[in-house]
Amino acid sequence: MRMAISGIGISGGFGCGVAALRQALQRGVVEPRQCSVERNGATDTFPAYRTSIEGLDEFIPKRALRRIDHFSKMTLHSACLALQDAGLSGGDLSRLGVIIATGYGALKTTFDFLDSYLDFGYSCSSPTHFSNSVHNAAAAHVSMHFKTTAPSLTVTQFEMSVPSALLTAQLWLAEGRVDQVLFGTIDEYCAVLRYCRRQFFATGEQGPLQPFTFAEQSAVVGEGAAFFVLSRGEEDARYGAIDAVTLGNHAVVPLTLPHDDLLIIGADGHAECGRWYAQALTDRAVAAYAPLYGSFPAAAGFDLAVAALSQQDGLLYASPATAGAADSALQVVAARRPLGKANIACLKFGPGGDYGLIRLSR
Amino acid sequence: MIKTAPIAITGLGCLCAAGMNLAECLESMFRSERNPHAPVRFSTDHPVSYPVLELREDFKLPLDDQQTIYARTSQLALAATLEALTDAGWDVASLRGKRVGVCIGTTVGCALNCDDFYRAYKDGDDPEMAAIERYLRSNPAAVIARQLKLDGPNQTVVNACSSGTDAIGLGASWLRAGACDIVIAGGADELSRVTYAGFSSLMITDTEPCKPFDVKRKGLNLGEGAGILILENESVRGTKAARGYVLGYGSACDAYHLTAPRPDGAGLKQAMQEAFTAAGVTPDQIAFVNAHGTGTPDNDRVESRVLSEVLPGTPFVSTKGYTGHTLGAAGGIEAVFTVACLQRGEIPANIGFVDADPELPGTPVTENTRIEGTVALSESLAFGGNNAVVILGKGAA
Repeated sequence: MRMAISGIGISGGFGCGVAALRQALQRGVVEPRQCSVERNGATDTFPAYRTSIEGLDEFIPKRALRRIDHFSKMTLHSACLALQDAGLSGGDLSRLGVIIATGYGALKTTFDFLDSYLDFGYSCSSPTHFSNSVHNAAAAHVSMHFKTTAPSLTVTQFEMSVPSALLTAQLWLAEGRVDQVLFGTIDEYCAVLRYCRRQFFATGEQGPLQPFTFAEQSAVVGEGAAFFVLSRGEEDARYGAIDAVTLGNHAVVPLTLPHDDLLIIGADGHAECGRWYAQALTDRAVAAYAPLYGSFPAAAGFDLAVAALSQQDGLLYASPATAGAADSALQVVAARRPLGKANIACLKFGPGGDYGLIRLSR
Repeated sequence: MIKTAPIAITGLGCLCAAGMNLAECLESMFRSERNPHAPVRFSTDHPVSYPVLELREDFKLPLDDQQTIYARTSQLALAATLEALTDAGWDVASLRGKRVGVCIGTTVGCALNCDDFYRAYKDGDDPEMAAIERYLRSNPAAVIARQLKLDGPNQTVVNACSSGTDAIGLGASWLRAGACDIVIAGGADELSRVTYAGFSSLMITDTEPCKPFDVKRKGLNLGEGAGILILENESVRGTKAARGYVLGYGSACDAYHLTAPRPDGAGLKQAMQEAFTAAGVTPDQIAFVNAHGTGTPDNDRVESRVLSEVLPGTPFVSTKGYTGHTLGAAGGIEAVFTVACLQRGEIPANIGFVDADPELPGTPVTENTRIEGTVALSESLAFGGNNAVVILGKGAA
């Protein structure tokens, strides 16, 4: 069943909102922020695509946000932007389903909760941190804020979180469980994540992020939230529609790609996933936009936002980095070009060969 | 919501504190046995010891390597899956080449609760990455798909304590939509020091064995385990007898509070109504209810009131007295019990219940009880205000 995309709310390393994403696509470059972590008397400096929640208090009073963590604030911010973009900011939203896809959940709050008992003993464990660390807390904040009493779902599947959760959105709409779905994808950065990535990847991920150098680890960590308002109605398809979501494992049954679709690949400089793109892709037109927002599991939602925006604009934006493409037969989209009659598909591989393919059309 | 087609359940698998497989669980519950005790697998400096319901014995998976490389939640999920597949007449090799989906609910199984690692990190050490690697390779749905070499959709649902019920409802939808031919659906969760600390911080854990719906109830006992159902479409099942059917699924959000249920139970009633419509059955057809029944004062009050209003006189039981609250696994385990009890024609006593609460309009069954009918309801309430309900039918197998 086709899912019309009627609104997008997004925040990432490029800024907040659809206009900021479009500007980043037009410029073709977003410089990551230089971040640093002090530990054991040493300073670790590294690039990261961080996001801001500036502007959230235009939607929700600061007082109401006091006990809400960064993860849920990012969620609420992009949810508000998406509903505003879809013209659904007011009124009865009781038939709006909420689905959130995340790779790691509220990381910072998870560790804040551990801090509460590691620092002060188990009897001082923080109930606030605990209840906000549960993966579905962000979806709960959305439902409470917008009074959406329809089904609410949170899914986590690392790199496959987004296509997997999108499959459920499609079923909810097809079965008439909801009239619309507020579909969100989110992950956050935290200092422990930096430590882990540094331990795993000896180069320390200093960038630049090169999505087509499949065999090398060039990822730069990112964070952000991308939300979509999805519905059954063709008249709502301001950004086109999602036609199909397919999940599988290339190592078990090789992926058959649609012939004519332009591919936006979720290659993000993560070598363990990159090898699958190298295997599955042959001579065809592809683009990758991770250098605009960084590497994180839920970034597949950002690829989806780029695809939706491209459909609205009727053009395919240039891939921001093309290094490494010459080593393959891929035709990387190196300059902006009209979309023409072509459709777009977003392809994301996980490290085990599992994949999600999201096909869109206008 | 429209009426949906029934989906056949061909296999059941379960392990938890009540038993190491479904047969053991049923036998011990109908003997009214339970064994809550202080945690054995972890310790804390908490001044109060809250009883938990751990697996009675260690378990060994009949597969290579995974015993050490996967987190306990995924091991539990795999063990219950293998039991359910055997029950359904599948060997793992025969699944290859078929479109098999995996939909699993969990809470602990997807959280970065690696507190030994984090303690070392905080102390300024450079902890090794083994714990993080285990976390990264232990997504429960992905583990089952990878270990059994399955090709199809997989999804790990993290809807807190309704996760298992949601996973079953969603898995049934995959089959109806033609997304796959077989679905492995249910829930899995391990006992963890982190949730032990978290639930005690919320002051909703009992210092004694839990007493769902009793006037002296003080809270829940945590538990661990997994409950898995094999769902098949008709083209794959052929003439194979069904253990039961997923007849309907409903879910709704309270949109009220992060951890407390909405006092009027509106979300639970909405989820029930959706499930009834989807199943095409009426409340008078429900033979019994496997209630969420955590033993927390608020939760049991809401649930008792809603059950009395929507299903007056229908017998209900909480099996959490035998299993503890297994969080994301609870809906999976309880759906397995529900199908098995429909086949058996009786439900076990609601252990822990002694004295009725005058505030609660309904009381659970106090002894093993024969039931009439072929349709039952299993429900879950969760943090975040999630309510999920599955309506299950009796099979012939």
